[in-house]
Amino acid sequence: MKKWITTSGVIAALALGLAGSPASAQGSGTFKYAEQVKLITMDPQKQSGSGVPFLRPAYESLFEKGPDGENVPLLATEYTVDGLDVTIKLREGVSFSNGEPFNAEAAAANINRGVEIGIVEGLKTVESAKAIDEYTLGIKLKEIDPAIITTLCYTGGMMIAPSAMADPALDRNPVGTGPYVHSKDESREGEVQVYVPNPTYWDKDMIGLARYEVWEIPDDTARLNALKTGQIDAGNWLSNPQAAIIDKSPDLKLIRNNGGLNYHVIISDREGTVVPAFADPMVRKAMALAIDRDAFNQAIQFGLAVKSFQPYGKGDWAYDPALEGVYEYNVEKARELMAQSKFPDGFTFDMPSIPIYQPRLEALAGFFNEIGITMNIVPVEPGTLARRSRTTDFPATNLVWNTVTDPKFLALRYIYEDAAYNPFKAKPSEALLALAQEGLTSVETDVRAPIYHKMAAQLADEAFLIFVTNAPILIGVSDDTAENPTVRYRYGEDSINLRGLKAND
Amino acid sequence: MFRLVAQRLLALVPLLFIVSVLAFSFTSLLPSDPVDLILGDTGTQEQHEMLRERMGLNEPLVVRYFQWLGKAVQGDLGTSFFNSVSVTDAVLLRLPVTLSLTAISALIAIVVGIAAGVAAALHPRSWIDRLATVGATFGQAVPNFWFGLILVAVFAVNLRWFPATGFTPISVSPWDWLRSVTLPSLALGLSSSAAIARQVRSAMVGVLQQDYIRAARAQGLSSRRVILRHALTNAMVPVVAVLSFQITVLLGGALIVEQVFAINGLGTLAIAAVRQQDIPMLQGLVLVMVGLVVLVQLATDLLYGLLNPKARPT
Amino acid sequence: MTTTSQNEPNTGPRRINFRPSASTAIVAAAGSVLVLLVFLAIFADWIAPYDPLRQNLIKAMQGPSAAHWLGTDDLGRDVLSRLIFGCRIAVLAAAEATSIAVLLGVPLGLFIGYRGGWWDWVVMRVVEAVVSIPGIMVAIVIIAILGAGLHRAMIALGILFSTSFLRLARGVVLAEREEVYVRSARVIGASDRRILLRHIFPNIAPPLVVQVTLTVGAVLLAEAGLSFIGLGVQPPDASWGTMLNSAAAYMDLNWFLAVPPGIAIILTVLSVNLLGDVIRDSIGRGVAVGVDPGKPAERFVPAIAATGAESPAPPPLADEVLRVEGLQVLVSGRDGHEVPVITDLSFGISRGETLGLVGESGSGKTITGLSILGLIGAGGRTTHGSIVLNGRDLRRLTPKQLEEVRGNEVAMVFQDPTTSLNPAFTVGSQIAEVLRTKQGLSGKQAWSRVVELIDRVGIPRPEERARAYPHELSGGMAQRIAIARALSCNPSLLIADEPTTALDVTVQQEILDLFRDLQGEFGMAILFVTHDLAVAADISDRISVMYAGEMVEMAEVDALFARPRHPYTRGLLSAMPHASSRNPPLPTIRGNVPRPGSWPSGCRFSNRCDFATAACERPIPLVGTDRLVRCIRAPELELKAAS
Ligand code: SF4
Repeated sequence: MKKWITTSGVIAALALGLAGSPASAQGSGTFKYAEQVKLITMDPQKQSGSGVPFLRPAYESLFEKGPDGENVPLLATEYTVDGLDVTIKLREGVSFSNGEPFNAEAAAANINRGVEIGIVEGLKTVESAKAIDEYTLGIKLKEIDPAIITTLCYTGGMMIAPSAMADPALDRNPVGTGPYVHSKDESREGEVQVYVPNPTYWDKDMIGLARYEVWEIPDDTARLNALKTGQIDAGNWLSNPQAAIIDKSPDLKLIRNNGGLNYHVIISDREGTVVPAFADPMVRKAMALAIDRDAFNQAIQFGLAVKSFQPYGKGDWAYDPALEGVYEYNVEKARELMAQSKFPDGFTFDMPSIPIYQPRLEALAGFFNEIGITMNIVPVEPGTLARRSRTTDFPATNLVWNTVTDPKFLALRYIYEDAAYNPFKAKPSEALLALAQEGLTSVETDVRAPIYHKMAAQLADEAFLIFVTNAPILIGVSDDTAENPTVRYRYGEDSINLRGLKAND
Repeated sequence: MFRLVAQRLLALVPLLFIVSVLAFSFTSLLPSDPVDLILGDTGTQEQHEMLRERMGLNEPLVVRYFQWLGKAVQGDLGTSFFNSVSVTDAVLLRLPVTLSLTAISALIAIVVGIAAGVAAALHPRSWIDRLATVGATFGQAVPNFWFGLILVAVFAVNLRWFPATGFTPISVSPWDWLRSVTLPSLALGLSSSAAIARQVRSAMVGVLQQDYIRAARAQGLSSRRVILRHALTNAMVPVVAVLSFQITVLLGGALIVEQVFAINGLGTLAIAAVRQQDIPMLQGLVLVMVGLVVLVQLATDLLYGLLNPKARPT
Repeated sequence: MTTTSQNEPNTGPRRINFRPSASTAIVAAAGSVLVLLVFLAIFADWIAPYDPLRQNLIKAMQGPSAAHWLGTDDLGRDVLSRLIFGCRIAVLAAAEATSIAVLLGVPLGLFIGYRGGWWDWVVMRVVEAVVSIPGIMVAIVIIAILGAGLHRAMIALGILFSTSFLRLARGVVLAEREEVYVRSARVIGASDRRILLRHIFPNIAPPLVVQVTLTVGAVLLAEAGLSFIGLGVQPPDASWGTMLNSAAAYMDLNWFLAVPPGIAIILTVLSVNLLGDVIRDSIGRGVAVGVDPGKPAERFVPAIAATGAESPAPPPLADEVLRVEGLQVLVSGRDGHEVPVITDLSFGISRGETLGLVGESGSGKTITGLSILGLIGAGGRTTHGSIVLNGRDLRRLTPKQLEEVRGNEVAMVFQDPTTSLNPAFTVGSQIAEVLRTKQGLSGKQAWSRVVELIDRVGIPRPEERARAYPHELSGGMAQRIAIARALSCNPSLLIADEPTTALDVTVQQEILDLFRDLQGEFGMAILFVTHDLAVAADISDRISVMYAGEMVEMAEVDALFARPRHPYTRGLLSAMPHASSRNPPLPTIRGNVPRPGSWPSGCRFSNRCDFATAACERPIPLVGTDRLVRCIRAPELELKAAS
């Protein structure tokens, strides 16, 4: 990381030197990024799911991920974890774009607000935060949390100006410490959010742009056209035909960023409150077996993904090669299981859908149809899938799981009785609960990996999470962006690091 | 003229009132509790009550209606249930998009419809007439969004003459604006062109048999003049009557055609509002659309009076 | 629509009818499409080659092949099978929404129409409000309340379209109620209600059928649209709209996916619309017209058509302005065959002279006037003879030159002044327009001339009247304006086609006096077309009598009245009302003027003539010098009459 910064500094200096213009904190040029989900909120602590690219320009988190996934201090400078006590030293001389100083008081207020709102799942382990001294933040945990610093790399660690927290319109008026500030006047709701340099930024050399725009283009083809015509410099894609077209286009590049989007079906109603069949593990296993993942990948994801049977991807420390193929496509066996189950005649259930998942769900509906299960696809507004999935509106749902996420979040999302995506409050099995607890006892991945292997195997056995395919995070860029040396993709995230980003020439 | 406008405007008051009652009561019939919608399952009972109070949901429906109406009259249509965006702002932001589509497609429909209708009427039973009649019959059977898809396939994907998707505001680049609205407007305007062509043809055939056309010819006025001035002016009278209806149809059609071209207009807003059950947004959209329709009706009424002296107040 | 009260032969495009064969073919084609649709909908399970939901991701997005006639979609499902199952949804959707619309709209419409009062007022205001919102938006709002899905979307459309049924039913009730009340002298009782009901049902059926066809087409399009935007039928169910929805996502990769469902929608809607058109036409005809009066009779024997040279041309007159020689005019009848309406017509008019052209309806006198102007219309043409005006044969002129002549050298005044002036412009501007375009006057010059002219034709306050619209003037005044316009360019020939027929008797006389005055001043020749012998006698110098497309007699006015030579003229004269008598004239000529195409082959009057003999069976020439007559028995009949 340090090395990289040095290099980039040299390049920046060279570029400026060649241009012969005086160094300016204002930056120059515009960079335009396109986001595939619609903007729901710019309040980091109310944000769930995707849409982080809208937040990154204005908000900085205490830590960020380095190129290899390591935690690197950003608004923090160093940290120590001692059992349930986390102590974080904060960077001095930082202020929010509204002029308020950034200090331990402000940071504590942020963490406490995040805990209170309860949407950021990583903060569920936090009891409370307080200022130890002006620049020392103390966080008290409820339980051992090996991933607390990782949490602070993302929305959980993003710092909002204290006075802005009271603003009911915080969802459209972000006030943070980031290199850019949101320009409400120039932004157009539902179309583009515009950011301009933050005059009070603490590290002015890292402001390389005069303007940064995040376009909201949910339509894949429209986003592709925008990239082709130069209306945008980069954008994110799921593994869909448009991404395949980008991959094949000579003047565009498809960046496969680290981290993977593991597409999976969640049987929320696994105790059978609404759909009794879901309580039968045989039914769930049959569903897992009925999916032809290779064909799914080829037809729906254009071969850009790999089939998946566990939450992690190849290369992740928790990945267990032994689980490969546990639910290899076998429709006969699936039918057999259905016949043996208490629901040999099949059943019907509702599944929420957003347009980008529509083909995936139609394919799944086709697979399930083969074993007598009718899945009704119910559209919900794009951007609300995660929120609706946390309600009892649907007995099952479908989401993506980012494979770089710490495995402990599996428990927080799906396993615990009060897990975010356990709206029916299903009781976890003893085995799962024990493994989830055990995974938290160490911060060492070597110690944790075997535990999470077991947990993945147990999950596969219970089959209420049906993993389908794992696709890398895909960012489509123009040739100019591909050659721009200042473009750094955030580790495991569908966004570009704005610190030091300069416009394409 | 002023009196006519004033009379018409006055006549609109009851209509707008009823529309507002409809918009308010219909959307209040939505099955879901807005508080649930906003808070999701996470909110506590206390939070529910607080929000309920803050949104004024504890007031009787009639009181809420008049509160809403009072604000609406001042241009404040409330705030979306899902973010802090004001409905008025959101609608006003998307309005130019949908208006561009509607206006250009209306223009296309009028020009194509009148040209085809006049050509057909001037040469009854000729191949032009047959072509126009068959074309108009087909045009009314083609779904606008399908025609849009085909236009995209041909002119955007294959020939690359026009962008396949998206919308450029006229303030950014008038040329790109025109390019971005051409295909959607064509798709949208087809069936109205057909309807107008049929209307113009039958009106023209009727008018061309009128004595005053023969009299004008007998006076030695040129064919061009007779057709374009004497005949068309009169043939436009019934056409104008269907025009305001057609523009209403276009406005509705724009909601769907926008989706084909991934254009962020009122349609996208409306569909999102339906999916989210965003009540204030739906109410606002209905009111604004009715407002537009009413303006169009007013304009066509005035045009009608201009073309047809008998309809003018004396 | 036509306003010529003269029952002249069809001189222009009246109405475009589908020929019976074409309309039958359309009904057959559209009907079979719809029958096929219903058939496929009912038997989809047996007919479709595959399960519409059965996917085969390995075979996704293939083109048409032997196994998959229309290829496969993005999930490898058989497009043809999905299309066939789509028929079922289309039929269901159309049936569901249309029934809801009818069942909701008709009873409510009947109720408020019957009940009236507040109910009516309130419901109608609500309907107006709903109608002023774009239909799709109404459907979207109702779907927001009910939720998405085929049946709920169809309920939404049913509610939306019920407004038109409501208005229709209400309209029928109001119309019938009026009639029943009028008939039963406004006695309200139970029996009246029954009468009302008895009247409503037969009257509501035809428009209801028409409205249903319109609604079915609209429902199909709306269903496809709603499904396309994801608010109608939900995937993976196959409806044409949802098929288009997924096709839209793969436009770049396989545009063919959009073709089959699109064509299915178009064909279905087209069939419904065409069938609706035919039904509407047939119902419209049944109600309005009854039997088609335009049935062609046996065709005219064309041997006579080319007999222009048969009669010798009359000798030239002194100072002749117009000379017509051997004129023949044909018009095309309904069946496309041409029939003569004027044959062998020759006459001349000299400067300052008025020639009266007299005859019954259908004798061809108006056509004569129009053929001089070259304005017979698209359905007719002059085929023989010459029309020489001021030394130039008008038939040899190009359309442009003819346009030049019209207005400047010859002008025409029509029968009904209120329809011959354009209702959209002020009368002054219509005269000014002629002056500007024909004489090149400036706007100002033209206007002052307009005022002069209007003053000259005897209208008080000409300045003010010039700014009036035709509908603001009385008939007589409007005719004066028409005369002023005709004379504005000082033509040497004025054709007046029944200019006084539409006017009150007192006004008639004034207009005739005006003609005489103006002729005295301007010196133009006048061809005065009229069916009214008294008027002709009043204004004409000479009179020419027309019968069945040819001239049968021509003479100085006094001579003609004193000694008519043709049996037809004689008949006309004896049928003339006596000036003092108010009784209607006695019809002394039996029968009617034969229609063009069914003229007798010999003397055309022979079937009505009391003196007809075998010799009258062949064509009769027009003979004579100072006076002309077309009757072989004229000399002997005259002797008889004199004796
Ligand atoms: S020619 Fe014969 S039929 Fe004809 S009018 Fe004379 S007498 Fe009668």
